[in-house]
Parts: sequence; C-alpha cells; structure tokens
Amino acid sequence: MVENRESIPCIELRNLVKRFPGVTAVDHVSLKVEKGKVFSLLGPSGCGKTTTLRIIAGLETMDEGNVLIDGKVINDVPAYKRDCSTVFQSLALFPHMTVEANISYGLERRKVPKDEIRKRVGEMVDLMGLGGMEKRRPSQISGGQRQRVALARSLILKPKILLLDEPLSSLDRKLRKEMQVELKRIQREVGITFLYVTHDQKVALSISDIIAVMGEGKLEQVGTPTEIYETPRTRFIADFIGAGNIFPGKVIASGNGRVQLETEGGLRVIALENKDIRSEEVTGISVHPELVELLPEGAGLEGDNSFEGKIVEMIYQGDFIETRICLDQTGGLITVYLRPDRKTQFSPGEEVLVHWSPESSNILLG
Amino acid sequence: MKSWNITGKILPALVTLVYSFLWVPVIILIVFSFSNDKYGIGWKGFTLGWYSEILNNVAVRNALETSLIIAIITVVVSTVAGTLTAYGLYKYKFRGKEILRMSLLLPIVMPYIVTAGALLVFFTRVAHIPLGYPSILIAHISFSTPLAVFVILGRMQRIDWTLEEASIDLGADRLTTWRKITIPLLLPAIIASAVLIFPWSLGDFTVTFFVAGAGTTTLPIYVFSALRWGETATINAIGAIFVALPVICLLLVTLLQRKGVRKSW
Repeated sequence: MVENRESIPCIELRNLVKRFPGVTAVDHVSLKVEKGKVFSLLGPSGCGKTTTLRIIAGLETMDEGNVLIDGKVINDVPAYKRDCSTVFQSLALFPHMTVEANISYGLERRKVPKDEIRKRVGEMVDLMGLGGMEKRRPSQISGGQRQRVALARSLILKPKILLLDEPLSSLDRKLRKEMQVELKRIQREVGITFLYVTHDQKVALSISDIIAVMGEGKLEQVGTPTEIYETPRTRFIADFIGAGNIFPGKVIASGNGRVQLETEGGLRVIALENKDIRSEEVTGISVHPELVELLPEGAGLEGDNSFEGKIVEMIYQGDFIETRICLDQTGGLITVYLRPDRKTQFSPGEEVLVHWSPESSNILLG
Repeated sequence: MKSWNITGKILPALVTLVYSFLWVPVIILIVFSFSNDKYGIGWKGFTLGWYSEILNNVAVRNALETSLIIAIITVVVSTVAGTLTAYGLYKYKFRGKEILRMSLLLPIVMPYIVTAGALLVFFTRVAHIPLGYPSILIAHISFSTPLAVFVILGRMQRIDWTLEEASIDLGADRLTTWRKITIPLLLPAIIASAVLIFPWSLGDFTVTFFVAGAGTTTLPIYVFSALRWGETATINAIGAIFVALPVICLLLVTLLQRKGVRKSW
C-alpha cells in the first residue's frame, strides 16, 4: 500500500508497553490519531491513560513499542524537543512567575526575539480573554483563568499536538461545562490535534471526535462518541459509559434478523442480529435507561422485551426521574429514566410494565 | 468539660514559664551590657563603655572578623552542598539511599564533644589538615550541611514536582529548569537554612575549640579565655552582639520576603 501525505496519522502508537513494579500500566496499546481531531482516552483511574499520555509527552519512558509523530519514530527525542505540549491535571503554573511570564516561558526557551514574544503573548492574552491579568500571579486569579493560562502557555508554542490530562477536573460543574465549549472553540480555531485524557464520560462524549476506552492498560474500544455510547462492545465499557442495565446471558436462537437471548435470571430478550458477531461470543446485552419505556400495568403490550415489575424507588434528578423497577420474573432490578412530566403517572410500590424495542438492546461481547 | 478547664489554666502558665526561661536571661544580659558595673552582674548606671572598649580591643575585632569569615563561608558552602544533596536524596532512586539519609542525620544527634574529639584526631593523625582556618571550616561545614539537607528536604516534600515536568515540556532543558523553576521554588528553604546555619557557625564553641589550634581565635573562644581572666563586663557586650547579629539577619530576610510578596500584588 502506498502511503500518501494525508494518510499519515498525527500520532501513532505501536504496541506500547509500560510496566511498573507489579502492574502493566500500558499493555500493547496501538492507536492512530488523525491530524486536527480531538481524540479522547477514556477510562477509570489507574487504567493507564495518563501513563500513555506521559509517554507521548516524553515524560515517561516505555518498555516496548514505538511512538510516532507525523510518521517519524520519536522514542529517543527528549521531552523538551518534542513538538507537543501538555496541559497538566494540576495545571502546573509556575507560582513564582506572573501570568505573562508563564505564557512566554516556552517562547523564551526557544530564543524567540523579545518583540515577537511580546506580540504573541498579547495575541494569546486576547484569545484567552485574560486581559488585565498579565501582571498577576497564578494564586491571584480564578480557577477558570488559571485554566486559560495553562492552555495559553501551551498553545502559544503552536505545537502539533496538545496533550490534556484531565485539565477540567478541578473546576465546578458549571465552569467545567463552559470550559468544555471553550476548549472545542479554541481547538477549531487553532486546528491542533488534541489528545484528551479523562475519566469523565460526559466530557469525553461531548468534546471528542474519537474516543478510545481503556481498561487495565488495554484499549477496549475505539469509536465515535455515538458508537461508544450506543453500542458499547463489552460489559466493562457499558458499565463505565453509564449504560445502566446490563443483563449477562447467552444466545438461544437467531433468525429473521433477530437474536433471542436468555439472561442469567431467565429473561428472554430480543436484539437485532449483527452479521459481524458470532453467537458464541455474546455474553449479554445492555440497555440505556432512557430507552426503556414504563407503562401502567395491563397496558396490553405483550410484545418483545416486555416485562412486569414493581417500582421500588424513584429518585428525582431534575432533568429526569431515576426509577428502579424490580422485575417479577427474576427479582432483578432495571433502571428507567423517566421524563419529569410523567412523574405524576407513577409512584413507588406500583405494578408496572417495562418495555424496550429490539434495536435498543445492545449486544455485549465480553 | 472539667479537664478542658484545667488545661486552659495550665497551658498559659506553662507557656509563660517556657518563654521566661528562654528570654529573661538574654534580656538581663543585654541590660547588664549597658551597666556601669565592672563585674557585669548588677545595675550601676548606664554606660556605653563596654561597647567602646570591645570596639577598641584589637583582639576582639580580630576574633569577630575570624568568626564572620568562617560563618559566611560555612553558610555558602553548606547551603549549596545541602541543596544538591537534598535534591539527589529526594529525586533519585538508588541503592543505599536510606542508609545515606540516616547517616546524614547522625551528626545532628551526636554529642558535639564526640564530633569535636573525632575531628581533631582525624585532622591531626589521619588527614594531616593544618589546624586553623582549614580545619575550622571543614568542621563547621560538616556539621552544618546535614541541617541544610533536612530543612530543604522538608520543603521538597511540599513542592508540586509537575512544575519541573511542565518546564521541560515547554522546552527547557534540565539546567534551565533548575535555574528558572527548581531553585526559585526551593529558595525559601535555602534562605531558612542559611539563617539557621549562620548563628550556629558563629556561636559554635565546642567543635571550634578542639580543632582551632593555636592562633586562630573565633569570638566564642575569645569569650572563653576572657572569662578565665575574669573580664566579665565586656563579655555581656559581646553576648549582646551574638544575640543582635542573627536577629538582624532574621529581620533582614523577613523584610526581603515581605518586599517580594508585596511586589507580586
């Protein structure tokens, strides 16, 4: 195959391995990140996502494998010569320097002429809305402003890649949302490839072009946010992404574009057939709570995936009501997100019918 | 809540007691240094005579000069060596690191008289280092450096070391990172250890007395010999100088730090 310029990924990892005493933090990870995309590494803490990022930054050594930037192996390039810049979880703003000095630090190290530094710092301050803060220390500005300084300090170097290690985790919910939107805007404006490490599936879903889910050092699934959310491949991903209802089980019949599974509790559930999946590999299904419908008892719907149960709990969450139903057949629980305008229709203790369509059943493979 | 009440009464009394033992003798000494009593042990009217006497006394001036030279060199060498040692002990993993760390602690807890005797034997019988400036400096530096190491190690435990990584990530090599980030972050601890070591070196008697040899007289040694000749009155004035010098140092540092803080506002 002839590779042309366009097909060379911005970042490529080939069989990356990093072992720490007692654990393999990164276990044969291979991935490709296209230029100009936001790529997220999503996983619980300790899954190796930060280690992967640090290896790309050059702050950590690897035991095996290769790191390529623009098609060139950079394993032996020291961190201070790599064409990527990191926004750290703690932000790591230099406390003894002003905002201005923090932003210009990288340019000074590159021996950029003083006039140009002043000009570019000015532009960056404008882009980030940090006007008036130039002479302050990091301890004298707000959390959101610190975030912007950290971003500015990296972006001013015009790196090929920006590595972000959960930079929003210290912010409160509202500010985090604002910064998410802001990050996306900045990324579009500067067109730099972002590698974003996070354990927050909501952040990952909303800012990424591609998400790679990691667990115990391995890549579990790589896909668009829609793919990851709607069709998580394994139980681990389904659980992590918040699919809520997971039913381990086996395929007992298939045909006519449908497969029938029997769960461990004995429920018969229907899903759509997928030609790429072999029945033996199937380990269960998952259903998102917002895709499950709640009907009054005896609504007369005796179709697929309809089960009787009793409401045991209704938790008000504002934009939805988290409702738990105990299924009569198995005694197991199923979670349903009820629209707030339907809260008066049901109450705890009530007998109800739950139902979801076969296309809402997501087949799990591991 | 009875026990609390008792604690509430005992604590202030205890604190008062501790502070009075700490400060009353020093205050009395300073007061008596202005007293017109030739034994220096009572108040017989105000005089600056003892101060002018020590200022005109060549022996005292020379001893003070010797002490200051030794203290300043000791401070510089110990803080530099202490900073490097602390950095190595904190940042690098190597075999025998714990043993090295503990063996640095030893000179701090060892009785001075033991250190002093050991150094004297070592200098004269083993290393053949001439007694005088060289021996005093080596002795002072060797008991001061561990102190610097421990003050600076304490600070290192509270530093966010991602700052060093951030600097490297932004394109600075190791040396520039040291100069621009690490040293400024450690500066408060470096200054604190200097402020501690200075009076320690300036006031040391035991070790210096053993290794000084003939002819190199520091101020504490001068005081000791003057006492033997019964010159008590001028000694109060010298004592006051011993108190004043470190206090001035401390004030200067605090002032400089205040200024630094204000500049950042």
